[in-house]
Amino acid sequence: MLADIISPDLFASAIRMATPIALAAIGGTICERAGVVNIALEGMMLFGAFMGVIGAMFTGSAWIGVLTAVVAGAALALVHAFASITLRTDQVVSGTAINILALGLTGFLMEVIFGHPGTTDPVTRLGPVFDFSGPQEGMFATAWRWFDVAVMSYTPLVYVAILLAIASHWALFNTRWGLRLRALGEHPRAADTVGINVIRGRYSAVIASGALAGMAGANLTLEQTGSFTEGMTNARGFIALAANIFGRWTPGGSYGASLLFGFADALQIKMQLLREIIKVPSQFFLMIPYVLTVVVLAGVVGRAVAPAAIGKPYEKG
Amino acid sequence: MPESAVEVSENPLARMLRELAVPVVSVMLALGIGSLVMLVAGYDPLAAFAAMFKGAFGGGRQIGETLLRATPLMFTGLAVAYGFRAGLFNIGAEGQLFLGGLSAAWLGLVLAGLPQPFNIIMMLVAGAAIGAAWAFVPALLKAKVGAHEVITTMMFTYIGKYIVSWLVTGPLRAPGQIPQTVQLPAESTLPRMHEVFGFLAVSRVHFGFVVAVVLALFIWWVLKYTTLGYESRAVGYNPWASETGGISVSATTIKALCISGALAGLAGVTEVMGVHHRLFDQFSAGFGFTGIAVALLAKNNPIGVIVAAILFGALSAGSGTMQLEAEVPAKVIFIIQALIIFLVAAEQLARWIIGRTRRVRVEHAG
Repeated sequence: MLADIISPDLFASAIRMATPIALAAIGGTICERAGVVNIALEGMMLFGAFMGVIGAMFTGSAWIGVLTAVVAGAALALVHAFASITLRTDQVVSGTAINILALGLTGFLMEVIFGHPGTTDPVTRLGPVFDFSGPQEGMFATAWRWFDVAVMSYTPLVYVAILLAIASHWALFNTRWGLRLRALGEHPRAADTVGINVIRGRYSAVIASGALAGMAGANLTLEQTGSFTEGMTNARGFIALAANIFGRWTPGGSYGASLLFGFADALQIKMQLLREIIKVPSQFFLMIPYVLTVVVLAGVVGRAVAPAAIGKPYEKG
Repeated sequence: MPESAVEVSENPLARMLRELAVPVVSVMLALGIGSLVMLVAGYDPLAAFAAMFKGAFGGGRQIGETLLRATPLMFTGLAVAYGFRAGLFNIGAEGQLFLGGLSAAWLGLVLAGLPQPFNIIMMLVAGAAIGAAWAFVPALLKAKVGAHEVITTMMFTYIGKYIVSWLVTGPLRAPGQIPQTVQLPAESTLPRMHEVFGFLAVSRVHFGFVVAVVLALFIWWVLKYTTLGYESRAVGYNPWASETGGISVSATTIKALCISGALAGLAGVTEVMGVHHRLFDQFSAGFGFTGIAVALLAKNNPIGVIVAAILFGALSAGSGTMQLEAEVPAKVIFIIQALIIFLVAAEQLARWIIGRTRRVRVEHAG
């Protein structure tokens, strides 16, 4: 039974389940590093998931669907940026409004386009990037199976998330862009003094986070399920925020923390399949990621330090 | 700031009008943008709003339905507003509501055969207590390690929903096809208003509405006149100054979030006792989340919560008629709700519009 649980499939499943959380968490990291709180990752992910399906449905291309999802997430982020940067609205409140807006808009458009609530028609999905076969028997078969399933079996956005985590982590600490981004969130006035455009910098960070959350939505619908169901993000956007905090506001850390949540999710799915053997109601497995989030926050928050100017609108003095 | 640009006399009526201007303009703008959305989607917004108005205020039964739907929103609106006053965002009122509903569905059966007034009081108290308990861990984490309550209360909402889902499909399930609990005996329910006051039109509105209004007045009093309320407001306004002034920020934070949870718990209790008389896992139409919109529109004023909840109750009651008669998906009201939050929160936008119309009027008069 243990062999059923600890297998390359579980590992691969954890990576897959971590992907939407990680994409949104990296978005959250970029946004919060610039000093803007984004609790609307959830809504942007949901809207991206829906628009991805719409884009793929009308063009027949899953890739155009991904693009639509990214643009949709960025568009909602633009609203958040306008409200919280230009109008200096409370960032948490603006984020809440966007979450409700995304819920209403996807539900409304669902009925307008599909004529019924619930789940959309299925659309074409993105398949695995690599597809070749290795030895099925012999001494290398097990090693190959691990390699094939755990490394080579994923859909494109799973690899995109890993590459993005590495690239943005490096860029945050080693490039001028990264230094400027961090300055926006730590001491915007100082950034302004040395000639960094605070408003423009924050706008681009918020929009980037929306684009990433939209991509996370595309991963859910265009790589995982193949259709959109109302409210399907199930607080992944909030879990992503927790992952960002657990990862101490770094893209690499966010990805690592997302893996933890992805693993909880994968384990949960696996255990449900084994419920004939483990006689525990499925709801207890479904709770695991949420309980884990609380535990993680309880254990780590006191020691992790947020960017100093987070949540504060910038007023040119 | 725009406020100083607008000249106002300090008489109380003018001040009240000024306070009301932003919410009123925001609601009107939101309805306007909502109409645009309907137009773009190919619907007739005038027919939609006419149907909505008919469904919400067209007669005694409809008004009763509006007040019925306003009732849980008053509790959750008060819950979120109380939290905001103390600087806390209880985004997880929905979860506390679920636990409140659960306690009522269980306790109502246990108390079968006892006098109704006793049952009502016991069930309300128990629901408030469990709502507070469900907010306690997030409150403690906020006070002790600074874990953001937006994330923790949201997680507790999902945990609570899964607990309810497990209980209604398993241990507490009534015999039959539908996963739900056993129906409560009459003595464990809240009577409908027309059953007590014969002169009222027959409708589904129940005594929970009265409880909600009384509680709103009570919370208003607590915030304005008690030490507890003063401490909550002080911590919400400036935690550092409060701590320096001798108020324990962490104790006040815990108390405030638990009170918020208790208020949200009561929403679940009254829904179970007054409307469904049993529990099933879809018994709340997102009342905890709509409570956020109610609190913001009311600018966290408990009296304002009564009015804002009735407005959202009317939107909800009217949306069914709108879907039936104008064939506009009822979900459009969530879009309107989100727009209201935006516009109220982005006060500058409304003030800018108010300022412009005033200037235009002055120009015309001159």
